[in-house]
Amino acid sequence: MTGPPVYIAAAGIISPLGRGMPATAQALRANTTAIAPLEAFPLLQGEPLPVGQVRDLGADPVLPRTHLLAREAARMAMREAKEPPEAIILGCTTGGILTTERLLRDKVADPQTYRYHGLASVAEDIAGLTGCRGPALTIATACSSSAVAITLAIAMLRRGGLKRILVGGVDSLSRLTYFGFHSLQLVDRQGCRPLDATRQGMSVAEGAAMLLLTTLRPDRPLGVVLGAGLSCDAYHPTAPHPQGRGAVKVMQAALADAGLPAAAIDYINLHGTGTPDNDLAEARAVTALFPQPPPLSSIKGATGHSLAAAGAIEAVAAILTLRHGFVPGTVGCRQPDPALGLMPQLTPIDRPVRTVLSNSFGFGGNNGSVVIGREDAGVAAAGPTVTAPLAVHGCACLTGAGPTRETMALLAEGRPVAGMMTAEAIAGHLPPRLVRRAKRLTRLALALAVAAHADNGGQDNPAAVFMGTGWGALTETCDFLDRLETSAEQFPSPTDFISSVHNGAAGQVAIHFGATAANVTASGGDYSFEQALLAADSLLEASGQSALLLGVDEGHDPLSPLLDPSVAAGNSLADGGGALFVNRDPVQAHALIRLAFYQQDEGDATVDQLVQALAGPDHDCAAVLVGIPAAETARGRRQLACFIDRCDRQLPVCEYRPLLGQFASASAVATALATICLGRGILPGAVVGGSDIPLGPGSRIVVLGTGRFLTAIECIRP
Amino acid sequence: MKELIEELKEKIITLLNLTEITAADFDEHARLVGGDLGIDSIDVLEMVVMVEKDYGVAINNQEVGEKVFASLASLAEYIQTQRSGAAA
Repeated sequence: MTGPPVYIAAAGIISPLGRGMPATAQALRANTTAIAPLEAFPLLQGEPLPVGQVRDLGADPVLPRTHLLAREAARMAMREAKEPPEAIILGCTTGGILTTERLLRDKVADPQTYRYHGLASVAEDIAGLTGCRGPALTIATACSSSAVAITLAIAMLRRGGLKRILVGGVDSLSRLTYFGFHSLQLVDRQGCRPLDATRQGMSVAEGAAMLLLTTLRPDRPLGVVLGAGLSCDAYHPTAPHPQGRGAVKVMQAALADAGLPAAAIDYINLHGTGTPDNDLAEARAVTALFPQPPPLSSIKGATGHSLAAAGAIEAVAAILTLRHGFVPGTVGCRQPDPALGLMPQLTPIDRPVRTVLSNSFGFGGNNGSVVIGREDAGVAAAGPTVTAPLAVHGCACLTGAGPTRETMALLAEGRPVAGMMTAEAIAGHLPPRLVRRAKRLTRLALALAVAAHADNGGQDNPAAVFMGTGWGALTETCDFLDRLETSAEQFPSPTDFISSVHNGAAGQVAIHFGATAANVTASGGDYSFEQALLAADSLLEASGQSALLLGVDEGHDPLSPLLDPSVAAGNSLADGGGALFVNRDPVQAHALIRLAFYQQDEGDATVDQLVQALAGPDHDCAAVLVGIPAAETARGRRQLACFIDRCDRQLPVCEYRPLLGQFASASAVATALATICLGRGILPGAVVGGSDIPLGPGSRIVVLGTGRFLTAIECIRP
Repeated sequence: MKELIEELKEKIITLLNLTEITAADFDEHARLVGGDLGIDSIDVLEMVVMVEKDYGVAINNQEVGEKVFASLASLAEYIQTQRSGAAA
């Protein structure tokens, strides 16, 4: 462990088991299940399958169910907090989809009604609720989302810049997940029975949990996050590696991060979804790593599988075991499967617990493990983490004009590149088998990843993947819901469901390159690439690891105009993205990059903070590339004018969205443009409407993001 | 039967986007899943849905599924048998 201890100051939880920690503890001790037939939405036909549903949630005329769940958990976690959190990090995969499903079915055409669709809208809503003015980040790595969110939170806290982060996860039941998992034949009609010899799958569930994490020791901490780790199976879009390769690696990473040997773990909270494959792979991993496993159990037979919320809900369960001195049972498991070679705790047992290892695994092979312990279980803290900046060694971009070469050629003449390539052209020279099941977003991501990798010489394969996407795989989401509706809910497509998850594309990139380290997808609307950059800078190891950092979005008719307010404002569709091959080695790098600023817009004062973050008004910035989302034109112009006013000299400025097109990840293209120009040593004058700008050692280009948040990516020629 | 086999070839090529093969060189006796075409468990699920939707034949048992999807010929045979069984 490096950096200061990360305390859990408070927590909130709402799940099928009840509201709040006392009710949750009581339900876990009672060892009963909350899984029951679906009631959250009506079905067109058939008997409802068993699910984990939150009771008495109520309804709101505007806010989707996910937002209501998140609000309840956040209020509980912040009840006694004297100051707002400095950042929000939420794991979420459903966003407002339950509401969107109804709107699409009713053919509602008003984009305003879809404003809570995006995953980012949940984190931003919680930021508003709690008065948070810093980054509101969303991690979308399917069922590991909130474990990954916790991992990112402790990494950011240990770096020392922030003191308080509200982190958690939330997902609501929806047709997408209910029918999606059913189409994969992963749902147990008898309800989830983890580790049982006759288990047949999971029970889809919902819920939310939040932890207020801080490096400032509270008077009565609930516990300490001792460590956390990430890995990727890089094996298959949904199936776990049969030997639990990724599961072993992620538990090892979490233990190493906590500075604890396996023998120091008192209780393992399994991912334990109840699917035949998951439980077997996880059992193999546990037995490989723990010659004599401590007591272990899965609580998903009680709660169901609340997807992105599961990691946070189970982190709260871990806190309860520490504080109340008990190990929960494995509800639903009657006859443990002898093939697993594990004896799970079937009923709760009283015993002191000082350390808990909690696993969460997701589609895309995205894994996260968290170690939570009592304060006296920790090891001595070392000094703060010091890391070198991210160094860019390969760049690629893709726009309506084509891949890097075509895009750069037009931009160098100051001509627009906005538009959409055909799906066939995007696939270009990629092997047909690689893109066979990939619709638009995954094709874009693979094309960019392969090009950035090749730009670095194609030798060093990336270990990690960080990707930002504002809206995810719109084609698959739309196709899934279309077929669900046209078949009267009878024949949803398993392939579309798998690929509809935001992290499907990054998972495919990992499989292609065998990238088995961290695999993180962030979704923050217009700031998605910035969020992925923040995640990469926080999580990429100090040495020896390379990563692909991507920002990708697809244009989709009819979804883009409905969902993205900047497209709704009357612009034609555009898409694409950028990819950077990064590590911590500055030697021969095109550029060094960092996220210099990310704050909610609060007028001119925020611009002043931004200027300070860029090392003062006399910063030697060669050019500024500014992204003003069409929906934020007035605010963005004001922010830009204020920024120019605060700088000591006239700066060459390029407003890039009119050139690149209106799509959430346009800033990834702008950043690729900046790093390519820094690598070449010249910024073509046409880009900024002036003469060519030479770029020497130390020259910097700033990629500014405007709108509800003000962001700055700093790119420096080493 | 031959007609059904030819029909399934076309359907599966489209359904699974098998751009590397045409119906003419689709060997109905070759191993379907895990073979040269790169067809995996997800594709099997997609074919299960198609078979139920287009032929009214359900395959909801893994053991049956493994036999049925051994080759395109065995799939055609299963559909044929189940349909005639249902009609009888």
